[in-house]
Amino acid sequence: MTLRLSPNSKPRWPTVLTILLLLAAFCAGLLVINATAENVPGRPVTTVLVASTPGAPFRPATLPHWECCSTKPLIFRTTLDDATARADAPAILIVSAHDNARLYVDGVLVGGEGPTRGDPTNWSRRPRLIRIPPQVAHPGAVLDIEVQRGVGFGHLRPIYLGEYDELYASYGALRFLRADMHVATGIIAAFVAAFCFAAGPLLGMRGLMYALGGLAASWALQVIGLSPSDPPWNGTVANGIYFAGYFGTSVFLLWFFIEWTSVFAAPSARRHKLGWLTAPWPRALRRKLGLAAIGAMAISPAIIALVLWNDPAIGSQNVDRICGFLGLAVIAFCLTRVVSYYRRNGFRDPFEASAFIFVLIAAVADIIMVRFFFIYGVSLGAAVMFFPLALLLSLAARARGVFEAATATAGKLNLLVAEREREIVANMEEIRRNERAAMLLEERSRIMRDMHDGIGGQLLGLILQARSRKLSDDALVNGLEQSLDDLRLVVDSLEQGEGSLTGALGAFRARIEPRCEAAGVALDWEIEDVGATPNIGPDKTLQIYRILLEACTNALKHSAPARIGVVLRREGDQIEIALADDGAGFTQGAPAGRGLTNIRTRAQQIGADLAIDSNTAGTRIAMKLAA
Amino acid sequence: MNQSPPRARVAIVEDDAILREDLARLVTRADGLEIAGVADTLAAGRALIETALDVLLIDLALPDGNGVELIREARERLANIKIIVVSIFGDARSVVRAIEAGADGYLLKGAGEQQAEEAIRSVLGGGAPISPAVASHILTRMRERTSSPRGADLEVPLTEKETAVLTDLAKGFRYKEVARLHGISPHTVADHVKSIYRKLAVNSRSEAVFEAVQAGLINLKD
Repeated sequence: MTLRLSPNSKPRWPTVLTILLLLAAFCAGLLVINATAENVPGRPVTTVLVASTPGAPFRPATLPHWECCSTKPLIFRTTLDDATARADAPAILIVSAHDNARLYVDGVLVGGEGPTRGDPTNWSRRPRLIRIPPQVAHPGAVLDIEVQRGVGFGHLRPIYLGEYDELYASYGALRFLRADMHVATGIIAAFVAAFCFAAGPLLGMRGLMYALGGLAASWALQVIGLSPSDPPWNGTVANGIYFAGYFGTSVFLLWFFIEWTSVFAAPSARRHKLGWLTAPWPRALRRKLGLAAIGAMAISPAIIALVLWNDPAIGSQNVDRICGFLGLAVIAFCLTRVVSYYRRNGFRDPFEASAFIFVLIAAVADIIMVRFFFIYGVSLGAAVMFFPLALLLSLAARARGVFEAATATAGKLNLLVAEREREIVANMEEIRRNERAAMLLEERSRIMRDMHDGIGGQLLGLILQARSRKLSDDALVNGLEQSLDDLRLVVDSLEQGEGSLTGALGAFRARIEPRCEAAGVALDWEIEDVGATPNIGPDKTLQIYRILLEACTNALKHSAPARIGVVLRREGDQIEIALADDGAGFTQGAPAGRGLTNIRTRAQQIGADLAIDSNTAGTRIAMKLAA
Repeated sequence: MNQSPPRARVAIVEDDAILREDLARLVTRADGLEIAGVADTLAAGRALIETALDVLLIDLALPDGNGVELIREARERLANIKIIVVSIFGDARSVVRAIEAGADGYLLKGAGEQQAEEAIRSVLGGGAPISPAVASHILTRMRERTSSPRGADLEVPLTEKETAVLTDLAKGFRYKEVARLHGISPHTVADHVKSIYRKLAVNSRSEAVFEAVQAGLINLKD
């Protein structure tokens, strides 16, 4: 899984200004400390006598002096000047002796650390400020500075003579720049490394995070190799640790810059003629590079150990040189990539740009200071500490950009979903309205048909009979009552309760029972609860009403029954409805023709099986239809 | 002690002249009933309920408005009045609406004289006429309300017994049969039905908005 980060969070000017101000304040602070360290208020000693080993003849030399390749003590000799000899507390400031530094006055040891016999101890890169006891401080006193370095080459930067209290400020500044801050950058780098390795799998940009973590870890390794005073390992092991870190810095710097300039490359990058040098590397290739970097880091300690094992002094020189060249080549390569990266992408991310620019300026500044002003370079060390931090901030800013973009997208999606939802609801309502309208239309046309079949025909018949004056008053009332009955049945059929024929027949009972009672006929109501009858809608219910009414009317009119029974029951999927009377039956000559024909027609219309059984013991009309 | 009890004062609100006169004749002839007044519009009906009345026979479809309004007003004004809806079809929707407004029963227009008189007397005597269709409709209404978002705070829900009685009435069983089925007296069945009617009215009043919507939706002319 790769988190695609689009650098679309625009740099805001307050952010950029804040970063620049912080950087400026940081650099200014460092420069002030550096100035204090470099402008030592004492007498600088640059010309000395040097003896390569104790007892060897002294020869003239100029400081700084560098000599290879022995762990034997190296002795620098000078004499105490008049001014210092007269000082209240005469002292000597040794800017950097790297390892041991001991001071002899007229051949007597007066200060310094480390054993005088055996292997040299490691006092890292601390400056020394050693008091010259006033009783031995006379003008012309011979000062011997004995330097013994574990890595195998003696190195003495300028020394200063003067008042102890006056030299102390510079001593403190030097100690901060060369030792304390170095340790601090190592600790910070260790935390950065831990964070990167832990966050890599979580953030998803594993290549980038592991490379950055490796870079920070390499720096921490360098600090571990250089900075501890008298660690529980000897100088060769300390050198090995330092070189592993040195080598790792180059390797991870390479990997990291390729990752960064590939992951965040503008998608539509033009192909450059330098190709692989400047173009974004595909993911698979970067993966191989990462594996190669890890592999190199795994085997490099073994190679370094082998080289140092053979000859710690010469080996150290060779490893240092090779790592130096490798580092230079990697930095040149990275610079090329960074330049082409910015040419392609343009300035977007203030954190990232500040990190790159800071490192570049720091490197260039250190080179200029060391080469041309002979001032100890401190910017790069600080930059190395801040470089991963700035890049982490940059990553965080990018991640926030992605988060904001995702939030915005989610917001848009929500709006879209809400809109679609409204549309769907509107459509559903439309559909429901249409369905309702269609249903109403169907109902309306059915009612029209029913009216036409029933009440229309009946009223028309009455009118025609009345016109031809064949209609008795009784027949008129009878006919009109029938019409009203039919109309009421239509209404009842529309109100069919609970979607069950049980309720529908219940309504019918209320219509028919008063009539039976009026005729002195008992109504036996044997209705079973048949449950839901979805297949029997209002239309079929009306026809069932009409069949039952017709049957009932026939019975009352023609058969003179004592009882009429209505039965409703369910047989599986079938519903049976029957009306039986104990009257005389049709066979007794009653002209039941039209009524029966109507019943048959209606039963056929609703798809019911009709059975009419009539004899002298009574008539039974039964129909069966699907529930 | 041979003095007959005071006759019940009956008012009739019906716009159809023939039907109105038919009802008036019926009331005049019946023992123990007397005409307190007749009206053919809602406005005239309002004037009628200013007087002391025992029974109000009312049509729902009046030329200047729906009789339901007058039922509600009459129920508020006269606590003991018996209100009977006169309906041509006795269709459940109109009857239930009237019951919700406070009616006590219904009478089919064009019913025989004896039947009509019986219906009036039954209501006067504390009966509560109910047709299977009306019972079924009430059940549906109650169910709709219980399942509606407001249903949870239905002010007075039906008891289990009432629902059971109503269910049997909806199937077409008559009072006597329902009474036998539940092992209670027909009188108790009538009490249940009256209680159901009252609850329907109470719930309906507490759901005035719902009621209005329903009234707007239902447009079946009487």
